[in-house]
Amino acid sequence: MFMIQASNLFFSYTGSPPYVLNDISLEISDGDYVSVVGENGCGKSTLMRLILKFIKPTGGAIESKAKRIGYVPQKNDFSNANFPITVSEMLHSYRKLLKIKDKSVVASGIAQVGMNGFENALVGTLSGGQGQKILIARALLGNPDLLILDEPSTGVDMESQKEIYGFLKKLNREKGITIVSVEHNLNAAIANSTFLYHLAAGRGHLCTPEQYTKEYLHGEKKGESNAQL
Amino acid sequence: MLSYNFMQNALFVSVFISILCPCIGIFLVLRRYSMIGDTLSHASLAGVTIGLMCGQNPVLGAFLFTSFCGALIEFLRSYFKKYTDLILTVVLSLSVGTAITIISSGKLHANADSFLFGSILTVTKFDMAMVLILSLISVLTLIVLYHQMIYIAYDEEAAKVAGVRVRLINYIFSILVASAISISIRIVGVLVLSSMIALPVATALQLEKGFRHTFLFSIVFSFLDIMLGLFLSYYLNVAPGGFTALVSVAMLVLVLAGKQIAKRVRSFKGSPVS
Repeated sequence: MFMIQASNLFFSYTGSPPYVLNDISLEISDGDYVSVVGENGCGKSTLMRLILKFIKPTGGAIESKAKRIGYVPQKNDFSNANFPITVSEMLHSYRKLLKIKDKSVVASGIAQVGMNGFENALVGTLSGGQGQKILIARALLGNPDLLILDEPSTGVDMESQKEIYGFLKKLNREKGITIVSVEHNLNAAIANSTFLYHLAAGRGHLCTPEQYTKEYLHGEKKGESNAQL
Repeated sequence: MLSYNFMQNALFVSVFISILCPCIGIFLVLRRYSMIGDTLSHASLAGVTIGLMCGQNPVLGAFLFTSFCGALIEFLRSYFKKYTDLILTVVLSLSVGTAITIISSGKLHANADSFLFGSILTVTKFDMAMVLILSLISVLTLIVLYHQMIYIAYDEEAAKVAGVRVRLINYIFSILVASAISISIRIVGVLVLSSMIALPVATALQLEKGFRHTFLFSIVFSFLDIMLGLFLSYYLNVAPGGFTALVSVAMLVLVLAGKQIAKRVRSFKGSPVS
């Protein structure tokens, strides 16, 4: 059963050619862990925003069967780093938005990502890795069946990256949560994903990590990917 | 002083202003929209002049026209995505243009000057009723939308993913801003109204607390600013709006100074003994 299906998807910010996404057809199955990779400006984030319905396709269609979506934005994306909000307030407010009555989900969410003791810390004072863990805890409130992440390793130290990817892999393999992650970290994408979706010049190609390594890193398509290994 | 009827009316309205302005102000400041307060307070002057020209209550006129301008700002946001500051210039031009045209036409049935500087002598029973009704509606709306408002200010995309109807709540918020402004112009005056919205929040932010505490401290500072401003302006025989703005600035400076002193004391205590 598919979780996300795009058919003949076109997108342009002006509504006319050239298209950022040009005739994309893609099916992500329930339980997949797909890393979307490609050069800067290839349309990775645009595809993510289309899945989240932040923007509408210029042509074609994209559909998600997710009952509940968890979203982890890029930590560095926040223009609101000085927003006066504690970890606990941030998670409890989100719990309220999701209409979850059980208050204990916040404490267990914090514990799940190993951030006990940070409940009263201001979110803006957390390190990159700590902030990312809290954003993952927030995304997991309400038990989503689809988790969408935007560059989860940006601004995160190596040790925390290991923890975060290990945790994501566990969520995918043990709890069956479908994951779509926009990635710059090709090493992590190859090591953890079940599929990679390579975007270039508005077109995409879904392949296994083995196929990706063979074709894009050692084979005929070498050089098409400049993502960081 | 409180035996005077006009002072009792002013005190009644001031209490509501001191609660409502920071409640609205905290969301405006945290969304980096504090200049909207300034633009809409000028819009309220246009509303006052329209109300007076039509022989209606000026506070009602201010509320309706400011609500219209607040909704207009929200509507124009989708047209001026890359130049959002231009929206404020457009609405400011419309408002000030309307106000000056009506005032200079000589068709006003009353004097609009008291709304520019604020006055405690002009609060009527009808104003007090409006202040009470609008304040209650605004506070109730804020209680209902509290978590949605926090998330729209903090992380709008996450709010959308959680199913918050961001656009609708932004329109409702515009009306709440209009309501706070139209309630406040009688006493505070158009010219310094934005300071009532932003300064107590700016002062509370210096304490570097979480949202709930920042929110509560904003109300405390606002109450202190407005009460001190009201009582001192009575004894000094000056306009309460202008003087309250000065008190707000003084309070901010005091808190900033206190913060610096506390920091130095902490670093002095923590420094190694030589």
